Amino acid sequence: MLPLSLLRTAQNHPMLVELKNGETYNGHLVSCDNWMNINLREVICTSRDGDKFWRMPECYIRGSTIKYLRIPDEVIDMVKEETQVKARGRSEINKGRGGQNMRSGRGGARGAFGNRGRPAPLARGGGNVGRNPQNKNKK
Amino acid sequence: MASKEGEKGKGSQSAGDNKEKRRKESILDLSKYLEKSIRVKFAGGREAAGILKGYDPLLNLVLDNTTEFLRDPDDPYKLLEDTRALGLVVCRGTSVVLICPMDGMEAIPNPFITQEG
Amino acid sequence: MASGLENYVNQTVSVITSDGRNFIGTLKGFDQTINIILDESHERVFSSSTGVAQVVLGLHIIRGDNIAVVGQIDESIDSRLDLGNIKAEPLGPIVH
Repeated sequence: MLPLSLLRTAQNHPMLVELKNGETYNGHLVSCDNWMNINLREVICTSRDGDKFWRMPECYIRGSTIKYLRIPDEVIDMVKEETQVKARGRSEINKGRGGQNMRSGRGGARGAFGNRGRPAPLARGGGNVGRNPQNKNKK
Repeated sequence: MASKEGEKGKGSQSAGDNKEKRRKESILDLSKYLEKSIRVKFAGGREAAGILKGYDPLLNLVLDNTTEFLRDPDDPYKLLEDTRALGLVVCRGTSVVLICPMDGMEAIPNPFITQEG
Repeated sequence: MASGLENYVNQTVSVITSDGRNFIGTLKGFDQTINIILDESHERVFSSSTGVAQVVLGLHIIRGDNIAVVGQIDESIDSRLDLGNIKAEPLGPIVH
């Protein structure tokens, strides 16, 4: 099971997100993308030391800044069907007109990252960005 | 760019293609925040608030009447009460960590106290 | 995928994250960036003054960026550990 399939399945569920900077965000997942960027609604933000709290109606979080997400236990049982449906859809694309899709994917400026196999380089690049704050944090 | 992707998507109408198209679209619609005050957090710990004047798909932002929330010099993630006015600024998208509307954002007392005992 | 993690799927694993925390759980999945799904997970909190505390956490997605170590747990050995009497300094975060 892919982590991002689980995350997609967790849409509309409550979750806790801890960022690399130590802040935590409790809210309902509205949407997510292949980079793990997420939209939350009805959010409570907790400061790194757990001493300050903010309420936010909604927020957008860049995936590369996430440390981990805590997801309700029952969500894992809801994933299976969706992955199978998705896998079937993908194989149809590959058989039917995979070549065409690949080409149009590469043609678009950001298209190369739209394909499922591709997010790795970008995600890793994002990780480097995220390391800097920890570095500063450490002195 | 977005419209080009859209046209390509229309050329072939299977469900799989629609899904591909949806994935390429940003999950963040910043147009709803235009001319509104938003809070932005950056990699490294800086935080600012300003009126969103413009943006691009890479999350570069133009903010007007911007205030930066100053931080403890010993702890770049600890906010102080102080702010400083920055005026009109361009925020680099790659360093944007979080965006939320200022409208409805408020500091609150610990809401978890009952659960945690 | 050639990360080697496929052999650990549905096994109990110990994950050390770059902030020095230790998560134990069942590896349910992973991807090419080593984002992982840990089910029925708990955190082991080490302390030099009291025994190891186990905090039940549940279902987790841990982002690959922060993962330092994923190791398989031998449950027969692990269950013999007397965690309540193990005292150890917590790990520090990775310093870049």
